[in-house]
Amino acid sequence: MEINTHRFTETAKKELKNEYSRVFLDIFRQHFPVLRKKAMASFPNPDKALEKSAAIRADVVARLPELLNQFEKNAIRNGAKVFRAKDAKAANEFIVNLAKQRGVTYVTKGKSMVTEEIGLNQALEENGIKAFESDLGEFITQLLDRPPFHIVGPAMNIPVEEISDIFQKKAGMKDPTLDPVELGQAARVYLRNKFHHVEMGITGVNMAVAETGTIINVENEGNIRMSKSSPKTQVSVMTLEKVVENMADALHLVRVLCRSCTGQKLSAYVSMDSGPKKENEIDGPEELFIVIVDNGRWNFYDDSQSREALKCIRCGTCLNICPVYTKVGGYPYGWAYSGPMGQVLTPLLLGLDRTKDLYHACTQCGACSEVCPGGIDHPKMLHEFRIRQTRIRPRISFKKNDIIDFFEFALWEKMVVHPSLWKLGVTMSRSATRQKNAVRMLKKTNGPVKNWTQSRTMPQIARKTFHERWNELRDKK
Amino acid sequence: MIKKFIEEVILQTGQVHQVQDYSTAGEILAQIAADHQLKSMVASTDEVIRPLKIMEWANKKGIEVKTADNFKDRASFKDYAFGQADAGITGVNYGISESGTLCLVHDINQPRLASIAPLFHIAILTADRLVPEYEQAVENIYTGSSTPPSQVSFITGPSMTGDIKAQSFKGMHGPKHLIIILIE
Repeated sequence: MEINTHRFTETAKKELKNEYSRVFLDIFRQHFPVLRKKAMASFPNPDKALEKSAAIRADVVARLPELLNQFEKNAIRNGAKVFRAKDAKAANEFIVNLAKQRGVTYVTKGKSMVTEEIGLNQALEENGIKAFESDLGEFITQLLDRPPFHIVGPAMNIPVEEISDIFQKKAGMKDPTLDPVELGQAARVYLRNKFHHVEMGITGVNMAVAETGTIINVENEGNIRMSKSSPKTQVSVMTLEKVVENMADALHLVRVLCRSCTGQKLSAYVSMDSGPKKENEIDGPEELFIVIVDNGRWNFYDDSQSREALKCIRCGTCLNICPVYTKVGGYPYGWAYSGPMGQVLTPLLLGLDRTKDLYHACTQCGACSEVCPGGIDHPKMLHEFRIRQTRIRPRISFKKNDIIDFFEFALWEKMVVHPSLWKLGVTMSRSATRQKNAVRMLKKTNGPVKNWTQSRTMPQIARKTFHERWNELRDKK
Repeated sequence: MIKKFIEEVILQTGQVHQVQDYSTAGEILAQIAADHQLKSMVASTDEVIRPLKIMEWANKKGIEVKTADNFKDRASFKDYAFGQADAGITGVNYGISESGTLCLVHDINQPRLASIAPLFHIAILTADRLVPEYEQAVENIYTGSSTPPSQVSFITGPSMTGDIKAQSFKGMHGPKHLIIILIE
């Protein structure tokens, strides 16, 4: 999919004016934490449950190469075919070739963030193979050609009027309706025919169990079960960090995932595949391909700070409580992943230079790391990215912004570390900051630091600073 | 455990009919079919459903029931499951009380589409198959066997979605109604 991470500020400004999204996000922000908390309370000890899931994920990331090999070996023993794709291109080529060899004209897809990441739909379409997203939210965003608004509910922000229009235009719906249930029904009818005759189904993977070679999908709609039952060929795409050691760990993560993600004890369907169907079974895939996508992850695996990002289980909780995401929504993040989880993962996959806004769009409040089932410390990682980005910037540069930065910060640095210069600065600016309309004037300034002054209130400098008073008191004695 | 299981199923809008034996189960099944005008069904042939003697039952009640072995291939089975069957009726390997979940092990006798393609899923469960947590079911299924089943499904309530305006409703792609007949 198109990468727009460099347009964060621009898109965020636009989205802040989108009244429909605003209303939705406001309700969502208030409603979701309550729902989640209630669901987590069904654990005997919610804190312990989160600690346990974080421990499981930490162990997975520490032993990733070993667990992945074990998973691969057991999946092959079960009769699956495993393909390790180094990058998006390799993964897409493999799947496109498979579709061509099997002579399929279309595929049905279960929601999968990794296929968004690698741009699989586009690769298929370029080769004349139609890809039908079958998760209702993904189906809507696909018809509208929009990026996902949320990693769990990709179309939750789309007004029903717009869905009604696009369903009439592109999904064979006859009469307009604003009722979500009727809209869902129209999508059901349209996609049912696709499921019925589909020859190849493509799904993501929530967990891959090393000990048994089993892949697990968690869903509510049944579209993934359809895509794994009806066609002769099943392709399941996973990123390498999806692996877990054993079934017990997987079950605990599923419990935490469902509660964190949608506030459910368990999603309607959890399906676990160990290889293709057995010969005598009438449905299920005759062949099961598991594509394990790297796409840059091994590159940062050796860096112990960056690899933390691989602990994510894609529950979406960090989005739902983030003060930035719940204002700007998912579009500004500019790629498959949004919110705090996207802010830590995207810069590692795309590079620090073109994702600068992502790791700066954080208030360091820490709400995300408090609820993260993977135990990721997002603010710490984003802070680290900022440090790294400063370090990689050349010391001498003649770009306009860099020159301005140099003078501002070099001067500022000189001033704050020299007591006499500091005192001089305080004396000079005191009266200015105590003017009645100082704040307003400062906000209007178009100087080089306008990004800073526009959004902050300048504190008044006291009539007498602590130092000055201290000196006075000492003199009196 | 039974009480907890039933409570959880009802929370997900599932229905539970408690009966004493298979013959009463047959009567309840006939009642359900009549209430919802279910005229054709695709059935599994697993060991839980077998004592129901569903073919005899179907002949008596004048309802069309087909099982996987009535079809010559995948395509014709799919045509029936997607195109004709009003309901799918299956046995259940384990009922899990922790979340009111049905665990189905798919094999030659438990085709996958029976519990996902039709609008109604009617599940037959015996009380001795109830376990408190997922772990017991999964351990029984996966340990000790060198070839794990091709697919295992956990089913908790009917198919659902909340993708439009976060408003949730049942029956998105799979069954809209989940009805469990629990034989004690």
